[in-house]
Amino acid sequence: MTMFEYDSRPVTPQVVLIGTRASPVAYAVRDFLTRNGRPYEWIDVDDVRARSIIAEVGDDRSLLPICVLPDGARLAPASVEQVAFGLGMLAPPLQSAYDLAIVGAGPAGLAAAVYGSSEGLATIAVEAVAPGGQAGTTSMIENYLGFPTGISGNELATRAVLQARRFGTEILVARHLARASYEGHDLKLALSDSSEFTARAVLLATGVEWRRLNVEGIDDLLGTNIFYGAGPSEAASCGNARVAIVGGGNSAGQAAVRFSKYAARVTLLVRAESLAASMSQYLLDRITHTENIDVRTCTEIVGLEGDGQLRRLVLSRTVTRDLERLETDALFICIGGTPRSADAVGIGAITDAGGYVVTGYELVEGTVPPKGWTLQRPPLPLETNLPGIFAAGDVRRGSIKRCAAAIGEGAMAVAFVHRRLEELDGG
Amino acid sequence: VADLSGQSLAHLPEEFSRLATVEQLSATVAALEGNGIVCIVAEDGEEARRLVAAQLVEGAEVFNNTSRTLESIGLAEDIEQSGRYQPLRLRLYQMDREMQEHEMRVLASSPDYVVGSVHAVTLDGSLLIASASGSQLGPMVSGAGHVVLVIGSQKIVADIDTGLRRIYEYCLPLEDDRARRAYGMPSAVNNILIINRVVQPGRVTAILVRERLGF
Repeated sequence: MTMFEYDSRPVTPQVVLIGTRASPVAYAVRDFLTRNGRPYEWIDVDDVRARSIIAEVGDDRSLLPICVLPDGARLAPASVEQVAFGLGMLAPPLQSAYDLAIVGAGPAGLAAAVYGSSEGLATIAVEAVAPGGQAGTTSMIENYLGFPTGISGNELATRAVLQARRFGTEILVARHLARASYEGHDLKLALSDSSEFTARAVLLATGVEWRRLNVEGIDDLLGTNIFYGAGPSEAASCGNARVAIVGGGNSAGQAAVRFSKYAARVTLLVRAESLAASMSQYLLDRITHTENIDVRTCTEIVGLEGDGQLRRLVLSRTVTRDLERLETDALFICIGGTPRSADAVGIGAITDAGGYVVTGYELVEGTVPPKGWTLQRPPLPLETNLPGIFAAGDVRRGSIKRCAAAIGEGAMAVAFVHRRLEELDGG
Repeated sequence: VADLSGQSLAHLPEEFSRLATVEQLSATVAALEGNGIVCIVAEDGEEARRLVAAQLVEGAEVFNNTSRTLESIGLAEDIEQSGRYQPLRLRLYQMDREMQEHEMRVLASSPDYVVGSVHAVTLDGSLLIASASGSQLGPMVSGAGHVVLVIGSQKIVADIDTGLRRIYEYCLPLEDDRARRAYGMPSAVNNILIINRVVQPGRVTAILVRERLGF
């Protein structure tokens, strides 16, 4: 511990989590707490500090992970939902009616929240896991405008949340949209925790989730030492580990740079012949100049070997089909996204073959409006086939998959929400 | 004599745990005010806690210095756990030391409010604060928007020389013991800040408490 840490750690009790590192549930809780900015102390079950708490709860591995909340309450076994509840993160909505409801609090959703609430709209944002979206797990964005030395994804998200709340946005985490239906011109929304409210306009900004890696046996090892995404909760625990990262985009590159600070070796596995087409040059330069990052192009994972945890990757060269085994302590999969559009589909929004939500002029064939469209005007830009329901950011068909672009779309969406509200007000 | 941690202080100079007289307290208040430091007297820790809460704006970035005083009267808990403020320690603690070192330094350097204590206050209105890392001193001097200090009146000393002696002979042994137990590392008087005068009106508030708080 450095002198700085000595002076900057909390002085009151925080969440303590006790478990085995290779537990998927423990990982889910660590990931949830990390991404929500809630500090916690991880204690391995074999650590002497865990003994007294385990003795209190019952020396039974089925009770792991154990979570000790700041007020001393014990959850055993702990789940994400219980921890969120125990920390008071599941407060119901404060109002029954809002002007704008935003589903998803990534860059697009948070930008819409800031612009909406700063312009006087009663705004609520609902987020399934934690604010920040995929960008929130990024270790350092160095080409985001206005931050010459870079800004980490979680700091950007934290600041955006503070900004949105300062303007009056209500942000609900750890729940998702369950249903939406029209009540007159307004939308009635029901969340996964059974809370309900109405909104005059809705913005779908649910983003993307990591594309699944198709390798036999992977589902059994997820959350043990194989993870989707950049694993912000895991970096510090990867000291001296051999880490592999799959992917050739900026997310994979940023994860490689972060893990290189902690791990003994980072191997970046890329199917393409080079990273040049898929990764920003600054990251490519960083990776090239980092000694413990090894980039393997034309390589894909074809098998996993282990014993309840991953021990080795079986790699194949895409051209020669030569096989090779790579000893691996942790694998992080950052191979692009698939739209998180189940909520949108569930309420009747049109999506394309890839699952992205279709908006604006793309819904109109010639002069023919989308099926079920009841208004005289065509859909506004960013508006879905459902009047008053908009989409922005990575979940939207045609969006540019950049943090700044998503923020731009979030801001744009608010402008069109205003137009929709004027329409409802007879303006 | 025992301090709030229950540790025996028998071997430590008794003069530094003795509460100030009414006259000494009045003289110190007048001197602090004369040196540009807003000064409020509280009867006890509970009143001091309420007075601090009244100083802090909801939603503000607040850094609570490591302080036995703040912990003993529940202020550390108010700041870190109440949800009324942005407690910077919690944000710093969950940041990536390798990737966010710059962000951590920036964040810790310029909070809206620093809440802490001092190790000695002199009858002629100087404040003495020692720090092992020094990280909390910069914000107190100029980085923080406002500085709120809660000071048990046993910390009132005659002059700066006596204040320095209080730091080395009384505070350091206690803080060293605390640091070894809490963090497994020793403490040291690596830095000492002496505030003789505050030029920005209203920036520093001292809440002097008529009881023994902290060490």
